[in-house]
Amino acid sequence: MFSKSNQILGVNARSLDYLKPLNKRKGRRIANSKLLTKKYLTKAGLPTPGLLAVFKTPKKVEEFNWLSLPDNFVLKPVSGLGGEGIVIIKKKAKFAGEWYLMDDSIINTSDLKLRILDILAGRHSLHNLPDKAMIEERIKIAKVFRKYAFQGTPDIRVLVFNKVPVMAMLRLPTAQSKGKANLHQGAIGVGVDIATGVTTYGIHRDKFIKHIPGTKRKVNGLKLPHWNTILLLAAKSQEAVPWLGYLGVDIVFDKKHGPVILELNNQPGLEIQKANHSPLKGRLNRVVGLEVKDAEHGVKIGRTLFAERFADRVMADEGIKTIRIWETVRVRSADKKRVEVRAKVDTGAWRTSIDRDLARELGLLKPDNILWSKIYKSGLGIERREVIGLTFYLAGRKIETIASVAERANLRASMIIGRKDLSGFLVKPRR
Amino acid sequence: MNIFQSVIAQAIANGISEETIVLLLLLPLVASIVAAARHLIGFRGFGILIPTLIAVTFVATGIITGISIFLVILVLATLSRRILRKLRLHYLPRMALFIWFITLGILGLMVIFSYLGVSQLGVVSIFPIVILILLAEEFIAVQIRKSLREAARLIMETIVIALAGYFIFSFHWLRELALTYPLLVILTPLILDIWLGRFTGLRLIEYRRFKKLLK
Repeated sequence: MFSKSNQILGVNARSLDYLKPLNKRKGRRIANSKLLTKKYLTKAGLPTPGLLAVFKTPKKVEEFNWLSLPDNFVLKPVSGLGGEGIVIIKKKAKFAGEWYLMDDSIINTSDLKLRILDILAGRHSLHNLPDKAMIEERIKIAKVFRKYAFQGTPDIRVLVFNKVPVMAMLRLPTAQSKGKANLHQGAIGVGVDIATGVTTYGIHRDKFIKHIPGTKRKVNGLKLPHWNTILLLAAKSQEAVPWLGYLGVDIVFDKKHGPVILELNNQPGLEIQKANHSPLKGRLNRVVGLEVKDAEHGVKIGRTLFAERFADRVMADEGIKTIRIWETVRVRSADKKRVEVRAKVDTGAWRTSIDRDLARELGLLKPDNILWSKIYKSGLGIERREVIGLTFYLAGRKIETIASVAERANLRASMIIGRKDLSGFLVKPRR
Repeated sequence: MNIFQSVIAQAIANGISEETIVLLLLLPLVASIVAAARHLIGFRGFGILIPTLIAVTFVATGIITGISIFLVILVLATLSRRILRKLRLHYLPRMALFIWFITLGILGLMVIFSYLGVSQLGVVSIFPIVILILLAEEFIAVQIRKSLREAARLIMETIVIALAGYFIFSFHWLRELALTYPLLVILTPLILDIWLGRFTGLRLIEYRRFKKLLK
């Protein structure tokens, strides 16, 4: 039996197996500067918050025309760590040169100038090195999140490895975190199912939570809008900055512009495993070495491989279903038709597999549905086996999974259903 | 093995102090223990320098005196930080002021001890005391940068590692071992360091952190 501790990614393994070999100096430099990040992402055509001003020297701070700024904006240190030093301006106050902060206190131009000079002096940067300051458009909170977050804007952290989104977490600012979305400052982390974008479990300050503290609002069951776009942006960020092989992408959801990439993290935290109730190493090992063509392909792999099995919940809702060895399932074809297939339930197999001719007939062998292929050497010579995304209905339940493609033309069953897809079912061996 | 041993014996015969040789032979082992505390247990600590330095000063001052000085310095540092927080001062002058407070405090302590007839503190060599005073800068810096809880935890971890180092430096049989089998005492940390350097398992505190995932 393998030990579960092998599946969890700890600090030691993260550093030796992932960060050191995969995240190159150039990539780290880009991730550590919000300006460089913006430059590389923009070049790749990816959305980032609009840039309004950059301050490199104290002189420029004095010369700046504050009245040129829009109603609301965000001041950030270019190389700030963990959300430190960020000032969020909610709107203009009564007098020119005065603004409201998110907690409705007032800040004026001379306060802002001081903050910028502090940033330039390196107050919030690593080792207090001199830094630059930047002003960006403020992201306005989308309606779905309004009841979940306190003051700030929630963001979605997507962990990308080998162009595959491996795990995701929604981060909700709280009063404790002062509107910031950083977990160690007291924000809430909520796991997100990669396949559907539905939230699962929550953590807050090392504790597992089911509701937003102080409210009766459940953390699970929230469906994040534009989920595929979010995953695509994350995977494309890695294409834009290929020097970061193990990458956390922080995406915010703007009311008007939709998903926007806020920053890249070259040393993403491990708490995401707790928020998802799922260990990372196991997932990373399933993606390592796969030949991923592009971001779209990576997202497809991630969504099929890491689908949360809602089997437990289904079981609670419907009870355990009994199935026989031979079952008629309906397989969804490429053009979304449901085709009846006689399948054999095989608890001796792990993965479901499907006949090559049948798969081709259903249009499932199109390149965009092939997740990866493996070469097998068998008695018949060298054989190529594809693994494809597959959706089928068994005893009234929809199962989204992966299946290997095999030559089953001479066998009785053109499809066998493996153990992986049988949780929540009881198999009756005889009639 | 024997060559190494006789070289050491020769060095002692030539007038190098036995204490120096023993401390030097054990120093790499203490450094390895600090590294092990980070990667096997998950102590964050202050790197290798500070815990090891504290361990060496404890050896020089004796454990009771050493810990009392350390605690007094810690209390003085925290108190003076409370006082100086209200003044807006540049970083280095502020640190220099901390050293001013702490030095006066230690001086006062020495005077009081001498009146009480507890002369221990007076005979302690000046260097360990100076080192401990100067280390206060690091502890104050960490209090400024991190939350109080975090700082307290870091300092606690440092004391624990420093104590472990102290015990290694002063275990009688380990000292004997260093003199009789110097090669063994030198090679053990070498192997330990390489093994630790490639260790990718979970740290002890991570078993607790991810307890729920391990079930």
